[in-house]
Amino acid sequence: MQQLSDVVELSIPVRADLVVLARLTAATIASRAGFGVEEIEDLRLAVDELCLSLVGGDSSGRLMLEYIRDNDVIEISCTYDPGAEGGGADRVSPKHDDLSVRILEALVDQHGRDVASERPRAWLRKRRVHTAV
Amino acid sequence: MEQNFEISEESRNDIPVVSVSGEIDVATAPGLRERLQALVASGKSTIVVDLLNVSFLDSTALGVLVGVLKRCREAGGDLRLVMTEPRIQKVFEITGLTDVFTMFSTVDEAAQG
Repeated sequence: MQQLSDVVELSIPVRADLVVLARLTAATIASRAGFGVEEIEDLRLAVDELCLSLVGGDSSGRLMLEYIRDNDVIEISCTYDPGAEGGGADRVSPKHDDLSVRILEALVDQHGRDVASERPRAWLRKRRVHTAV
Repeated sequence: MEQNFEISEESRNDIPVVSVSGEIDVATAPGLRERLQALVASGKSTIVVDLLNVSFLDSTALGVLVGVLKRCREAGGDLRLVMTEPRIQKVFEITGLTDVFTMFSTVDEAAQG
């Protein structure tokens, strides 16, 4: 059963210099979950691409990230609230460039995109294979 | 602890060598692009980018390197990359860019071509 402590939420303004916080949070959670070093690095890059795939070069609004650990699986979802300037759900596709897709395909077990509360959302799921030494 | 992003530049055999350290992401990639594009604009068509001390690199960084590579080749030159870290090489491999860039394991080799 999922415990409350297994869910971490992070809300950050869309600023290039703050995407690092999404990476650091993913790395910390994966490390505590016993993921191996290479898996942690994979997750760090994957969550970075998840954020980029939603906002591209935009610098307004907020990103809401939810990290869920359930046994050997970490699921991360990222929802983009573009704020007053709008944009909304119709922005889901254009930002998802080919390089980001290839990286996500290679690094995680599953990933996808949808719309949650009229806001574009991207998510990934990665299962632990190697245990940290 | 994160390594600070830094760019330095030197010349080997009249070829500019741009050495990068730290993380190249959406925050820092524009600085690298600006530096490399300035070199191309100044007439340097072949550039070596030393990624030996890069600890993280994402699709934004790849986009910058691909863009500059295109400009170098249009000018008759090349963008040569130096890397040995498997974690960094992996990003090029999974995106299929190992076939696109000319890669070396030392700056000296890259400068000699």
